[in-house]
Amino acid sequence: MENYQAQNQYRPGAFQKGHLKIFFGYAAGVGKTYAMLEAAHQAQNRGIDVVVGYIERHTRPDTLALLEGLEQLPEKIVEYKGISLKELDLDAALQRRPNILLVDELAHSNAAGCRHSKRYQDVEELLRAGISVYTTVNVQHLESLNDLVASITHIAVSERIPDSIFDSADQVELVDIEPDDLILRLQSGKVYQKQQASRALNHFFTRDNLAALREIALRRTADQLSKKAQKAENETAAKAGEHILTCLSSAPSNAKVIRTAARMAEAFHSGFTALFVETPETRDLKGENLKRLRDNMRLAEQLGARIATVYGDDPAVQIAEYAKVSGVTKIVLGRTNHSASLFMKSKPLVDRLTSRMEDVDVYIIPDVQPLYKKKRALLRKPEQKFDWKDLGKSLLLTLAATGISFLFYELGLREANIIIVYLLGVLLTAVWTNGYFYGILVSLLSVVSFNFFFTVPRFSLRAFDPNYPVTFLVMFLASFLSCSLATRVKRQAKQSSQRAYYMELLMSSNQKMQQGQSEQEIIRIAAQQLQSLLGRPVLYALLEKDRQLRFHAVPASESEQTMGRLTAEELGVAEWVAKNDKHAGATTSTLSHAQNLYLSVRGNQEVMAVVGIPSKFYPPLDTFEKNLMIAMLDECGLILERRKLRAEKQAAEMETQREQLRANLLRAISHDLRTPLTAISGNAGMLMEKSVSLNENRKQEMYRSIYDDSMWLVNLTENLLSITRIENGTLPLRRDAEMIGDIFHEALSHVDRRAAEHEIRVELEDDMLMANMDARLIVQVIINIVNNAVKYTPEGSDICLSAKKENSMVRIEIADNGPGISDEAKQRLFDMFYTVNTGSAGADSRRGLGLGLSLCKSIVEAHSGSITVHDNQPHGSVFSFTLPLEEVKIQNV
Amino acid sequence: MYKPKILVVEDDPAITNLIRTTLDTQEYQYHTAKNGAGALLDAVSYNPDVIILDLGLPDMDGVEIIRKVRGWSSVPIIIVSARSEDQDKVDALDAGADDYLTKPFSIDEFLARLRVALRRSRTDQTAEPAQSSLYQNGELRIDYAAGCAYMGGKEIHLTPIEYKLLCVLAKNTGKVLTHNYILKEVWGTALAADIPSLRVFMATLRKKIERDPSAPRYIQTHIGVGYRMIRQ
Repeated sequence: MENYQAQNQYRPGAFQKGHLKIFFGYAAGVGKTYAMLEAAHQAQNRGIDVVVGYIERHTRPDTLALLEGLEQLPEKIVEYKGISLKELDLDAALQRRPNILLVDELAHSNAAGCRHSKRYQDVEELLRAGISVYTTVNVQHLESLNDLVASITHIAVSERIPDSIFDSADQVELVDIEPDDLILRLQSGKVYQKQQASRALNHFFTRDNLAALREIALRRTADQLSKKAQKAENETAAKAGEHILTCLSSAPSNAKVIRTAARMAEAFHSGFTALFVETPETRDLKGENLKRLRDNMRLAEQLGARIATVYGDDPAVQIAEYAKVSGVTKIVLGRTNHSASLFMKSKPLVDRLTSRMEDVDVYIIPDVQPLYKKKRALLRKPEQKFDWKDLGKSLLLTLAATGISFLFYELGLREANIIIVYLLGVLLTAVWTNGYFYGILVSLLSVVSFNFFFTVPRFSLRAFDPNYPVTFLVMFLASFLSCSLATRVKRQAKQSSQRAYYMELLMSSNQKMQQGQSEQEIIRIAAQQLQSLLGRPVLYALLEKDRQLRFHAVPASESEQTMGRLTAEELGVAEWVAKNDKHAGATTSTLSHAQNLYLSVRGNQEVMAVVGIPSKFYPPLDTFEKNLMIAMLDECGLILERRKLRAEKQAAEMETQREQLRANLLRAISHDLRTPLTAISGNAGMLMEKSVSLNENRKQEMYRSIYDDSMWLVNLTENLLSITRIENGTLPLRRDAEMIGDIFHEALSHVDRRAAEHEIRVELEDDMLMANMDARLIVQVIINIVNNAVKYTPEGSDICLSAKKENSMVRIEIADNGPGISDEAKQRLFDMFYTVNTGSAGADSRRGLGLGLSLCKSIVEAHSGSITVHDNQPHGSVFSFTLPLEEVKIQNV
Repeated sequence: MYKPKILVVEDDPAITNLIRTTLDTQEYQYHTAKNGAGALLDAVSYNPDVIILDLGLPDMDGVEIIRKVRGWSSVPIIIVSARSEDQDKVDALDAGADDYLTKPFSIDEFLARLRVALRRSRTDQTAEPAQSSLYQNGELRIDYAAGCAYMGGKEIHLTPIEYKLLCVLAKNTGKVLTHNYILKEVWGTALAADIPSLRVFMATLRKKIERDPSAPRYIQTHIGVGYRMIRQ
């Protein structure tokens, strides 16, 4: 683990996955390892960095001789129950990072204490880390062929690899040898020791067996090739045609059904789904059955099936519904040998299914192990604990029924009514209590008390009328039946409400996550949802830019305790998850010694976050919770990714906009600054050199020109400073409450000198009016607008500044009675670098940069206000903008 | 006639030259320093009536110089800053500066500020013993002992806060007071959230003492910085 953390360098995207080459044989002894080592030598001769990761020690001497000249990684020694076992040292291999690593026996199961429980998982990790792997495997180790091979050789093999890893191999080299040659080789003791050899020859290595195995291996190799070709051509089209569905159950024979279905899916190149129908019975599965169900589910997953779960009482209905919705074309089922129970529909599942689905082929796989029988729910002992409250309810109801019956009896009503009253009592009991037990009890009590109180002779358990025993029996049966029906209805209601709750949870989490403001908030919401789903604290961490995980925990109340259990080792597991995008930790086959289960939250492209589910001190998750959890995390990953991509895109857009602005600005400045600078330097130069020859009037004119030009530059500088503040976004607005009157006063003290020729008025509706603003920027806005008004209106025109309250805003208006602005110009007035060409203003008017008004617009909008221009009456223009109103409540006068 | 002595601390020769020319026309005595260390030495040895201090010196932060000078002297300090960020000015004013000028400034503006500072420096010296119960500024008169304020001989009715505000401004006549300073003096706190109330009280106070509140004569607003009572 330490090694691993030290070289924890994760480079997404830029990562090249390693190539997998499998040396495939149909039996031990065909020479896979030999072929692999030869290939390794060839590669090394070509200058490729080849390292031997692990070679089985029982390999024959001439093969071992080939190890000569190849670098060998020291094996990892694992102590297990007093035996030291040799395993591939995965961390050492990752650190050594050769181009090609040799790993013998892909199907090997690792000793406890290794990171993964299977060697192929080690290989997958190596591939993900960009290391190419040469490995060997025999045909009987392929998951989907396991049954087939076992039926030929009569030897069950426990070490198996999922077909997906075989199919995804970049190269499969079939190491082939004539069966006769193999037998010869065996006899000469090259494969096994002499004694073993003769046993093997008798049992396994018969000519027929070998021929059959060879055929299977050849066919499988061909399949792998054609599958790869097809995958390359068109992945989706291949799947479009057929869709095979199989069902998961806890039956031992289910594994065979799944394998068969997988083989079919492969043969048809079709989609493959394994459906699990969760019924009230499966919900109560325990111990061995539950384990078997999980194993089967894992098997289906390994064979490439999509796992789906549906809920309902009747599997036939659920399967049919699911098949219809997801376009299933073929269903593969095992023959069920459940004995029909008294109250269940007696037709077998297959018949019920076929009657519901006309256009789907149903394949039945015979069950070879008829020993297994599932116990029916009715025969099981009630699993609920005995509850005094329920017992009390039952007795009270019986008493009440008896009481009412007495009343009826006294009123002279017929016995039938009394029976009905008792039935009602039974029904109510079934509804108000949990389980069959109380219903049955009340049924019995009802019959007894009916007998005791109301049949002749009354107050004895005898009955004279021969009709009574029949009445009792019918009454008991009727109450028993209605009780069981009521219980069922109740259970269904509970089930559907639970399903509704889960659906709601899923929907609401999606909604809530969508509303999250930041990535951190989104993952926190997801964790909170998980916490309420699973009823345990949840750890979460975003994978941050520096590839670090900083865990937080919900709920806050248990945060400290939960975080306390997060040791360095646990963090290592979490980091492994983030790097490899695989689930790991408790309840998985990877790093399973961890206390928590770690799940990666992934988008389409990369891991976005990691979630930790404490598992050690909590009951195991059921399938449903697991599925829902994964659905929620997938959703969360997508939302996170979307958010991230959007933010990146926005940032990029802003950057280009800013670049554009900067470029335009620079161009405009460098062009327009030259004019005033030329005037200033020219005038000053003249005054220095030719001072004597110039008359006083001329000099005054030049002084004025220098002053005017520099003032123009001063104003420009102010605007440019404001622009950098606004556009850069680095300096936040310094917003404060400001008196509008003060702001007007300040702005007017800075306007153009030429304003002296204009009549400037201030009209304030309320001289205590305040707005929230960055004073310096808003003063700049007013200066720009007033300066424009001064510039573009004839001398002596009126300019009026006014402000008034408008809902929650303050509207500031600057009106002039000049010539006004054309409608066409109004449209573009606030664009950057737009200037009005006024012929009338004459030669002395300096063209502006066209920054002023566009800056005003940016500033006002940064204050969440808006700026507009409209015509004044009878002529002129009105510039109008809004700022957020500030209202003050004075407390301590 | 007494010629006031002015210490000019500025590292830019062009600006120094401009200030020198201006001061020459007004027949003030002056001395110039180019860096912070020199400025501190001169502040002691030259004993100026006013210090004009550029905030952007090469060797020392201007605010640091103000703090050091304030350690022993209350000589009026006018800061000159090229930075138009208000916070720099506020920091300098809070450190004890009296007034500020932002580059580019006009000569008229410069001289006006200088006159205010000199008057303050003079009243500080002359009116020190009479730091008494009466304050007179133009038509405004405050009787600290009685807790009353008069405008043109007529008593003005102020709320307790307005009166406190007026006193704080009057006691620092000629000096720019930052929002923080005023808040601390009047309310005892310096929360930015109180600035709106400060503005409201300032506006009501003005209404009572200014003849035309839109063109105030006594209380000047410094946008983004604070307020100042002007000596008439």
